[in-house]
Amino acid sequence: MTLFIQQLFDGLALGGVYCLAAIGLTLIFGVLRIPNLAHGTLYMLGAYVTYFFLVTVGVPYVAAIGLAAVVLAVIGVLLERIVFHPLRNAPHTHHMIAAVGAMFFFQAVAQAIWGADFRRMESPISGSVTILGAQISWQRIVIVVTAVIVLGLLTWFIKRSIHGQTIEAIEQDRTGSSLVGISPSRVSMLTFGLAAALATVAAGLVAPINLLAPTMGDALSLKVFAIIILGGLGSLPGAIVGGFTLALAEVMTSTYVSAAAGEGIAFVVIVLVLAIRPTGLFARAVQR
Amino acid sequence: MAPMRIRPGATVTAAACAGALLATSACGGGAGSGSDTIVIGYSGPLSGGAAVYGKNIQDGLQLAIDDLNERGVTVDGEEYRVELQSLDDQYAPDAAATNAQRLAEQDDAAVVFIPHAGGIQAAQELNSSRTEFLLGAYSSDPKIVEQGNELTMMIPPSFKSYAEPFVDKLTQNGESKLGLLGTSSEYGQEWTKLVTEEWKSRGGQVLSDNSIDYATVSDFAGPVSRTLADNPDVIFLGGPSQPTAVIIEEARRQGYEGSFLLMDQAKFEEMEEFTDPENLNNAIGVKPVRDYDDPGTDDLLDAYAEKVTKKQPVTSEVALNYQSAAIVVTAMQQAGSIDDSAAIREAIPDAIGEVDEHFHVSGFPTEITDAGHLRNKDLEAAYRTPEGEYEYLPIEQPDE
Repeated sequence: MTLFIQQLFDGLALGGVYCLAAIGLTLIFGVLRIPNLAHGTLYMLGAYVTYFFLVTVGVPYVAAIGLAAVVLAVIGVLLERIVFHPLRNAPHTHHMIAAVGAMFFFQAVAQAIWGADFRRMESPISGSVTILGAQISWQRIVIVVTAVIVLGLLTWFIKRSIHGQTIEAIEQDRTGSSLVGISPSRVSMLTFGLAAALATVAAGLVAPINLLAPTMGDALSLKVFAIIILGGLGSLPGAIVGGFTLALAEVMTSTYVSAAAGEGIAFVVIVLVLAIRPTGLFARAVQR
Repeated sequence: MAPMRIRPGATVTAAACAGALLATSACGGGAGSGSDTIVIGYSGPLSGGAAVYGKNIQDGLQLAIDDLNERGVTVDGEEYRVELQSLDDQYAPDAAATNAQRLAEQDDAAVVFIPHAGGIQAAQELNSSRTEFLLGAYSSDPKIVEQGNELTMMIPPSFKSYAEPFVDKLTQNGESKLGLLGTSSEYGQEWTKLVTEEWKSRGGQVLSDNSIDYATVSDFAGPVSRTLADNPDVIFLGGPSQPTAVIIEEARRQGYEGSFLLMDQAKFEEMEEFTDPENLNNAIGVKPVRDYDDPGTDDLLDAYAEKVTKKQPVTSEVALNYQSAAIVVTAMQQAGSIDDSAAIREAIPDAIGEVDEHFHVSGFPTEITDAGHLRNKDLEAAYRTPEGEYEYLPIEQPDE
C-alpha cells in the first residue's frame, strides 16, 4: 500500500509535467496544424534559462521560472516569426524539416553556452512529507499543485479572455475567424509564446529532481507526442487527460509489471486507443 | 572617366573568403602529408548525450600530446611533433568505423582511439584488412579483446575483474538481497548479468531487475521506490556519474541505509560534486584518480585544472588515456616507425617500461597481455566506509 501511494504521487507529479509540456504542443497543432518537433528543445532551453536566472543571476526560484517563461515566450514568438511564418503556405513536410533544424540549432546553442555536461539545479524546496507511510518530497507536491493552478489559469485564459478566445476561434475555423477580424498571424505568435512558456514552467519544476543536459528534451518530446495523439491532436482536455493517463500508466506498469514494460506502455496504450478511436480520445480539431 | 569604385564591403568579403579558403587548404594539407608530424586519431562522441565522456577522453589524449611535444619526440633519429585529430561520431558504431578509416587513410594516423565498445568492434572489422591501424580501445567490455584482433590495445581494466571483489566486500556481514537498478545500455546490461551471476553463485537472492535508461527517465523516484520495496541489502547501480549520484540521493532520501555496488562508469570524484558526499557512504567502486600517488598524478591534476577546467575533477577517462597516448608514442620510438602499426603494437611490451615517469598517473600499466590488454598488476578498488573514509582493496584480474 505504501508503495502504491508513493507511486501514485510520483505518477501525478510526472503527469503534471507531461501535461504542461503537452498542452503547448497541442495548442500549436490546433492553431498552425504543424507537429512542432522542436518542442522538446524549447523545454530544454526553458530549463537552462531557469538555471541561468536561479544559479548565475541568483533570483529566487519562483521568479527564475517566471523570468525564464518570459524569455522563452519571446524565443517562441521569434521561432514562429523566423521559421514557421515564412513557411505558412509551404507543404507540410517543410514545417517538419524546419522544426528538426530548429531542434538541432537549439541543442547546439545550449551545448555552446552551457557545455555538454550535466548540470544540477538545487531547488529551495527541500525535505519531504510522510503521507500514509510514503515519503513524498515537497518538490513533487509543488509540481502537482503548480500544474493544477497553471492549467486552471490557462483554461480561464482560453475560455474567458479575448486573446485566449481568439486561439480557440482559429482552431475551430481559420477562415471564419479571419472574416470576423481575428488575425491568424497574431494568434500564431501568441500560441507559440504560450507554448514555450508552458514548457518552461514544466522544465523549471522538474529540473530540481533531475539533471540538465542539452539532450534532456529528446525523451520528453517523444512522450508528449504520444500524449497528444492519445488525447486527440489539438484538444486541450485531451492533452490533460492524456498526460495524466500516460504518466500513471507508465509508473504503475513499471511498478507492478516490469521496468521495461513501463517504458513501452505509452505505445501500447496508443495502439489500443487508436484501434478503437482512430482520432484520439477527444478528437475534434483534426477533422477538417 | 569615372573613377572605378570598389565597395569596401565587397573587399572585406573577398578577403574573408580568400582567407577562409587558405585556412581550409592549409589544414587539409598540413595534417595529411606532414612529414614531421605524428597524427594520433580519435573518434568519439563530441556532441549529443555522451559528449562529456568523449570530451574527457579527448582532453586526456591532448594533455599527453602537449607534454610529449614539450619533451620532444624523436623517432629513428628524426624529430616529430605529435598532433591529435579528432572526429565526432556521436557514439554511433558505424560513424566511428568510418571516422577511423578516414583518420587512417587521409591523416595517416597509425593509431586511432575509440572510446565505446560498439565503435571498437566496428573498427576491428577493418583495422587489419584494407587499412591498417592500431586501435586504442577505451572500453571495459572484455569482449573487445576476445575477438583475437591483433591490432587492438584495450586501455581500462575489464569490468569482469570488479564483480567478484565488489560482491566479496559487500557480503561480509551476511547481506543476502541484491537490488538491481543499473542503466539499461548494452554495457549496463552486461554488468547486471555479471553481478547477478556472481551474487547467485554465493547463494544470495537477486531481486527484480529495475534497470532504467538513465538518460531518458524524467523522475528517478519511481524506480527507486520499486527497488526499495523489496528491501535490498545492497543495490547495484551505475551509469554516468551525475544521474547515478541523483539516484543515490533519492534512495537515501527514501530511507535506504544499505550499501551500493557501483558500476565502473560512475566515479566517486564526480558524484561527490553532485550530491552530499555523505550519501555515498557505504559504497564500492573504482578508485578516484586524485588518490593515486604515482609520480605524475599531481602534475596531471594541475595541468587539467589549468588547461581544461577547474570545475570538474580528473577522472580515469582522462588519466588512462593520458597514459596510453604516452605508451603508443613511446612504442613508435621503440619500433623506430611512425606508420607501421604492427611494429608499433609489437613494441608496446618494451615501451611500457620506457615511458617517462611523468606519464605515470593512475596505476600505470605493468604489462600488455597477448590479447592486447594493458594491465596494472596492483589494480585497486575503492570502498567508501559508512564513516565516509576511502579504503582501497586489491583486485585480482582474471586470466585472458
